[in-house]
Amino acid sequence: MMGDLICANRAVARATDALLRAMGGRGVMLRMPAPAVPADVTEQLGIATPTFQDVPLAPVVYRKARATLVAGEAARCELLVSATVVEAIVGSLAFESASVLFATASGILCGDELFAIVAAAEEQVFGKPYVYRLQLKEPLAQVV
Amino acid sequence: MTLQGRLATLNPSRTIVLRGVVRPGTLVEENELPTGSIPADIFRLEWTGLQVNSAASLPLVAMECSINYCTDGTAGNGGMDRGRLLAGMDAELASTLGVEPHTVGKMNYAEAGAGVAPVAMGTNVFWSDPVFGAVSAIDGRLARTLMLQVFAYQEAGEL
Repeated sequence: MMGDLICANRAVARATDALLRAMGGRGVMLRMPAPAVPADVTEQLGIATPTFQDVPLAPVVYRKARATLVAGEAARCELLVSATVVEAIVGSLAFESASVLFATASGILCGDELFAIVAAAEEQVFGKPYVYRLQLKEPLAQVV
Repeated sequence: MTLQGRLATLNPSRTIVLRGVVRPGTLVEENELPTGSIPADIFRLEWTGLQVNSAASLPLVAMECSINYCTDGTAGNGGMDRGRLLAGMDAELASTLGVEPHTVGKMNYAEAGAGVAPVAMGTNVFWSDPVFGAVSAIDGRLARTLMLQVFAYQEAGEL
C-alpha cells in the first residue's frame, strides 16, 4: 500500500513536470540572500548589504493572476513551479521546508526583472506536493 | 545599537533568526530585506518623522521613532498567555527606555566593520519619555506601537 502511494506520488510529479514543459515551461531564478555575517553591526544598520545567490527554477509556467489592472498598483501574476525542483533546492540548501525557502527568498528573477513573492501555496496529492503556486508582484518601477 | 544591547541584557532569550544568524530580537525594518511576514515577539523599529531645527550653530535633528511589537502567545498554552507576554514586552521597553539619564554618546558607524570599532563623536543622542499606544487585537495577535522622539545634534561633516 505504501509502495503504491510512493509510486503514485512520483507519477503525479512526473506528469506535472511534463505538463509544465508542454505548457511552455521556462526557467527563472530564485534570488536568495547570502547568510548574514554574525555580529556585524553594519548589516543591522543597513550600511553593508548582503550578497545574493541565484538558484535556477525550471520548469515553471508564468501567468497573469489579475486581468484587470488598477492604476498605481503593481500587476499580480502567478508562477507554477515544479515540486521536483523545489524539493531538490530545499534539500541542497538545507532549508526546513519549501515555505521557509520562499519566505527567505528575496524574489524571482525573470529576465532582468525581480518579482517579489507575495504568497506561496502548494497543491498536493496523497499528502505530497506536486506543484507550487507562487503569487508574484511586479516591481513598482515597472508600473505605468 | 544601545537600545538593542540594553534589551538583550535584560532578556537574552528574546532573539530572532535572520538569514541564518541568531540576533537579539530588535531590528530596524528599513535595514532588512523587504518581507511580507511580521515576526512576533521581537521589537521592530521604524523612523517615521524628521524635524531639523537649524536656528542654532549645530542643527538639532528630532526623529520620531515607532517601536512595533506583537505576540501570538505560546503555542503550548494555546495562545492564552499572549496578554502576559505583551505586558512583559511593555515592561522590557519601559525599563530600558526609562533608565536615567535618557542620553548616550553619539557614535559614527560609517567606517565600522569586522574588527573596526565605531568612532565616538562629540555630542550625545537623547530621547523623550515613551508613549505607549493602544493594544490592537487582530486574529488573536496582540500588537502595540510605542512612540518616542530621538534627538541629536548634527555635527560638522555629517550629511
